[in-house]
Amino acid sequence: MKKPLHNIKSKLVIKAVRNVRRGDQAEEAQRGMYRPGIKLDLQRSRYLTESYRRTDGMPMVLRRALAIENVLKNMDIYIQKWERIVGSSCSIPEGLYFGIDMNWRSVKRIISGHEGRGLLDDTGRKELAELAEYWKGKSMSDRQQEMFTGDILKYWKYEGTFIWTHWSELGIPNYEKIFKVGLRGLIDETEGRLAAIDREVPADYIEQKEFLQSVLISLRALISFARRYASLARDMASRSEDPADRRRLEEISTTCERVPEHPPRTLLEALQSFFFIHIGRYIEYSTLGIGVRFDKIFGPYYDADSKEDRITRDEALELLQLLWVKFQELGLVYSPMLSGIYGGVESLQAITLGGVDEHGQDITNEMTYIVLDAARSMQTLEPSIALRYHDGTPDTLLQKTMEVLHTGVGYPSFFNDRAMLPTLEKWGVPRQDARDYAITGCVYIEIPGKNISRRALGGLILPKCLWWALHRGVHPVTGVQWGVPTPDPVDFASSEDVLNAYLDQVRFFFRRQCTIENTCRELYAKYLPRPLYSAFLDGCIERGKDCRQWCYDSMVHDFCVIIGTTNVVDSLAAIQRVVFEKKKITLPELISILDKNWEGHEDARSMMLAAPKYGNDDDAADAIAVAVHHGTSAVLAEFSDRFGHPLRGDGSGVSATYGMALHTPATPDGRYDGEPFADATLSPSQGRDHKGPTAVLKSAAKIDTVKTFNHLLNQKFPPDMLESDKKDLFAGYLRTWGDLDISHIQFNIVDRATLLDAQRHPEKHPDLIVRVAGYSAYFVDLSRGLQDSIIARTEQSFT
Amino acid sequence: MGDKGTIFNIQRFSIHDGPGIRTTVFLKGCPLKCAWCANPESQSPNPQLLVRNIKCRSCGKCVSACPRGALTWSRNTGRQIHWERCNQCLHCVEACSFQSLNISGYEASIDTVLAEVEKDGVFYKNSGGGVTLSGGEPLFQKDFVVSLAKRIKEKGLHVALDTCGFVPAGHYDAILPYIDLILYDIKILDPQMHKRYSGSDNRLILDNAHHLAGLTQMWFRIPVIAGFNDSDDQIRETARIAKNIGVKKISLLPYHEGGKSKCEQIGVVYKFSEGLIPEDSWMQHLANIIQEFGVDTSIGY
Repeated sequence: MKKPLHNIKSKLVIKAVRNVRRGDQAEEAQRGMYRPGIKLDLQRSRYLTESYRRTDGMPMVLRRALAIENVLKNMDIYIQKWERIVGSSCSIPEGLYFGIDMNWRSVKRIISGHEGRGLLDDTGRKELAELAEYWKGKSMSDRQQEMFTGDILKYWKYEGTFIWTHWSELGIPNYEKIFKVGLRGLIDETEGRLAAIDREVPADYIEQKEFLQSVLISLRALISFARRYASLARDMASRSEDPADRRRLEEISTTCERVPEHPPRTLLEALQSFFFIHIGRYIEYSTLGIGVRFDKIFGPYYDADSKEDRITRDEALELLQLLWVKFQELGLVYSPMLSGIYGGVESLQAITLGGVDEHGQDITNEMTYIVLDAARSMQTLEPSIALRYHDGTPDTLLQKTMEVLHTGVGYPSFFNDRAMLPTLEKWGVPRQDARDYAITGCVYIEIPGKNISRRALGGLILPKCLWWALHRGVHPVTGVQWGVPTPDPVDFASSEDVLNAYLDQVRFFFRRQCTIENTCRELYAKYLPRPLYSAFLDGCIERGKDCRQWCYDSMVHDFCVIIGTTNVVDSLAAIQRVVFEKKKITLPELISILDKNWEGHEDARSMMLAAPKYGNDDDAADAIAVAVHHGTSAVLAEFSDRFGHPLRGDGSGVSATYGMALHTPATPDGRYDGEPFADATLSPSQGRDHKGPTAVLKSAAKIDTVKTFNHLLNQKFPPDMLESDKKDLFAGYLRTWGDLDISHIQFNIVDRATLLDAQRHPEKHPDLIVRVAGYSAYFVDLSRGLQDSIIARTEQSFT
Repeated sequence: MGDKGTIFNIQRFSIHDGPGIRTTVFLKGCPLKCAWCANPESQSPNPQLLVRNIKCRSCGKCVSACPRGALTWSRNTGRQIHWERCNQCLHCVEACSFQSLNISGYEASIDTVLAEVEKDGVFYKNSGGGVTLSGGEPLFQKDFVVSLAKRIKEKGLHVALDTCGFVPAGHYDAILPYIDLILYDIKILDPQMHKRYSGSDNRLILDNAHHLAGLTQMWFRIPVIAGFNDSDDQIRETARIAKNIGVKKISLLPYHEGGKSKCEQIGVVYKFSEGLIPEDSWMQHLANIIQEFGVDTSIGY
């Protein structure tokens, strides 16, 4: 069954979204949001709506379960000629998932404009219009807008300081438990609970009963879904003339009869079981950023197969390559506004490798290496790979990761157990659970199997908060008091005064953002319960409660993506040096120059640029970085999620550092109106780090992860840093990053000349992948401006 | 004496000046005047004006600041500098807001340099790196560099000395106790050619090499210039010397024209128009020759 790799790679369907918006303005919309051939798949919407029409008046949790059951029962399924692992969230390989129950407006907008006219034909357009008719007033976005009044309605509209969006909601099933008992075991557990509450009749008996019944419907629906594949494969096998192909289809049939209902016995069964669970939750609820500790979960299956001579290493590698193609099939429709935040993204599925077990021992196994071989051979956007680094990470594993990095795909990214384990413990996660953390999406930290339906409550644009602080919260052109009235900058005597005014603005806007979020969370709990996903988590069946009705007790949950921290730092450092220490210019003078976007004041801009900047191991700038990061985190923690857990910031800015910079005028760090922000929370501003990559790490290390958790750091090196004996230097550099307790780092390994050539001749570089934020993207799918912002990152190479 | 020295750069993440991740301290002043010098600003022992015209915004402030009329401005030519009138008073640098006029070289105390090189200690530990003292010729400021090396060594760091070899032998004796590795420049073996292009012949250099190689670990470094010092014979002979005196490694550094633009920036004529960049394949050929002698080699670092 051996196939050449180019055959496998030729199956890839690229569903990356192009960033057709920047902020609220169109950018290269005529290119279309997706590559040609990609289609909007209406089947989930069709069968979901069909069921909803039938179940009006029933309890919502049952309605959800029945609707998902209807989708799984009726959606067309397919098995492609090369597949051994099957399943899809869409009815066609080139289909895009779309959650009509969330939002139908933006999809209608996409298909009627340049962005996505080709995604649907006329029949499809007609059907979508009919389906949308049903959802008017019922979709989540409709319900949100009905719920907002007064001040919140006013700040809900995007103005450039913060954005609330359905950004992402993640979580990791307890695969170990599910594989151990099978879905059948979960059904038995649920039936046991139903019998128990019938005896006990608890105070919330009805709610529990409805929930548990919904769990049963959902689990059975997923088993039946798998059986549909078994039956299709059997049918295809009976018609197949080719013996090898018949064997393949019979294998699929046997596998899908067994899993996910029963515990998998082989690597193939484990991967197939995983994939059904993976897409099942995806079909239930539109999410992105799924994660799994891949080597920890699948390593033992490979080892057992290998020991029993059931599989060779090459065969295991091929299975992974086939799975990689399936990962690639999971695409999402984004709203045009979100395309500006998720430029180049597909669905942010992440695989975590390495790290420690519950006893603190390194878990690296042969599967770790097979995954890296699969990654290196496939070089796909999905899945992204995260390596959990700790003191016991083997040198051979580091060397292997460098081989993958050298291809330029931008992963693995590195997460540091030395920083993350204490952080998780501070968040209230018991040590044993903390040691099992995994990465989802780009840089989200989760505990597998725990009820953590993490959400990002949108993004807060920190330099804009600073800008309001420099204007007393009043827009200088319109005169509108939009931010909080902070003191007149005339009276500021130090950068600390500016910092305090900035923090007041952060507090003012974040309060509004949190009110919106907590309102929305309540709506999600009421209208979008997740009985299927709940069954995959610890404690939901036991409690008889949907995952949205309670949560794992820790502050690992919700967070706000903070954007532009470094620009605030550099601005304050420049104000401190030029305005307050050297007194070369007064603050009001500076502000009036900023209001003119530096025009006619290049000398002032040059002075501000020459002031100390974060990322150079310069204590003057770095002390301000510490004050800004720690201060901002403390303000965010003043607010809580609806279960009472403090909130926090997070560095997963995706491409928002580019897209959301549009509405922030010139800032004191020398940045022009609309110019992109520094590319990540821990990254220096583009081209402002002059002391090399060691100084960048030293600066980043001064910011305490435990206090801030602002963890995204991009570094760019030319490929020769990962060649011949320089590899040892690079390993030394990585080990030092570990020793410095910095939580995260990732690399773009590409030279500037290649990127410039790809801009001029995109046709020559269709497969060139770059790291954008916590994810990789095809360079040619990014807008020119986003490409420029990646080229502008400092390339660390020295003599 | 020796507490302060004149340096023109401290380069962190230096990965081409000895093993591991290093910090290189560049000291000003050199007894040789090599025509191909990549850092011509290192030759003079004193701080000096370094001009970057690309950054000039024609604000005119430097023109008013110069007491000797060495800077002029006109609409047609833009800002011009008349080096023959410049006495390195450096008033213009203070006046410039755009980093177009800069000072190359500054006086630094041992404590200051020490604090800077210690910053990357954790990187040295993980990569087998350390500190490289380079220049110019570091021993041109003998008292300073010996004290500095001693203090760095006391911190337990690996110290490399990058030297041109044209230094009285006794100078080396003073610094050797604090040095783990010598990076030793061998530019060209023919004494006449050496004198013609560097100002001095190379007898002292070769004698010192013989003397020092037995006392500490030594690597040779050759700035390889096409058609000038890149013949098979030249490289073979250098490799033979290396093998005889126990030099472990020869670094082949392909010539580049970095010195040319810097000469313009400091108002010096670049006298090496015949310099040619060697082909990659030829560099590999030379590396193969060296390996035949059982001596390690690397290209570019």
